[in-house]
Amino acid sequence: MEGITIRNATIHDVPFLVDTIIEAEKSGTETLSYTTIFGLSEIEARKYIANMLLEEIDGCELSISSFKIAVKDDQIAAASAAWIEGLEGIPSNVLKGNLLNYSLPKECIERAFSVNHLLSELHINNISETMQLGLVYVSSGFRGLNLVGLLMEEQIVQLHKIKPNINAIYVQVFANNLSAINSYKKNNFEVILVKESYVKEISQYLPSNKKILMKKELFIK
Amino acid sequence: MERPEITNKLTAIFRKVFCNDSLVLSNDLSAHDVEQWDSLSHMLLITEIENEFVIKFKLKDLNKMRNVGDMIDIISLKTDC
Repeated sequence: MEGITIRNATIHDVPFLVDTIIEAEKSGTETLSYTTIFGLSEIEARKYIANMLLEEIDGCELSISSFKIAVKDDQIAAASAAWIEGLEGIPSNVLKGNLLNYSLPKECIERAFSVNHLLSELHINNISETMQLGLVYVSSGFRGLNLVGLLMEEQIVQLHKIKPNINAIYVQVFANNLSAINSYKKNNFEVILVKESYVKEISQYLPSNKKILMKKELFIK
Repeated sequence: MERPEITNKLTAIFRKVFCNDSLVLSNDLSAHDVEQWDSLSHMLLITEIENEFVIKFKLKDLNKMRNVGDMIDIISLKTDC
């Protein structure tokens, strides 16, 4: 598309990647799990997320190397994270858990203990050696340009260079995020699993009590 | 510290974090095998291990742990120091 370029993220993009992570986590609500679970302010959460990105651990949603950036008219317009699950033998949720353990203050971790059993009800395991689309965010002035589709197309091309025989890409999204779900449907994703928690308190910690797993078949050339 | 002693302590930690009193550890056990093993549970698991064994993992050590066997190897090294 004219005037739009897609490139790899670098450490200079960390402020925008932090925005991406925060907005994707909020999923169109004001509920940010980093504040509700860990008791951090949004400003503190931003600082710790930036620190975790700067550790440059590859293979999860907190990896700079997972992100691609869409630039329009010299402005950063959107970003998305995608990776091959468990490429080096370690699942992305373990890599993220390691970063959280390493980076967050002890009192934040202790606070999370009391809610862990509630939140794990919505956990969906990623399948090893599949493509995972993680966090996606389009800045408000750049919506309606199918930047999500363009970013994803480029992610798939690049990840196929690493592992050519992968035939599916998955994304997990909260059920309340209808615009994201519709955008993925437009890009040929289908809903394959819905996980719901009936514990009332979960809405205090997460944007929704329902999580959806979507899958897009990839045709290997 | 000897591996059986580490395994016993780890078993208690895993059962507490995953709220599963029948969880049995093996060297091959990994995040793929336990349904509730998400990023938050993993963070808590590592914190509990550090508290129990009075150690602090380096990030590069953590990212080498593919399964319980690797975890025991690293704890064994750290507690022998």
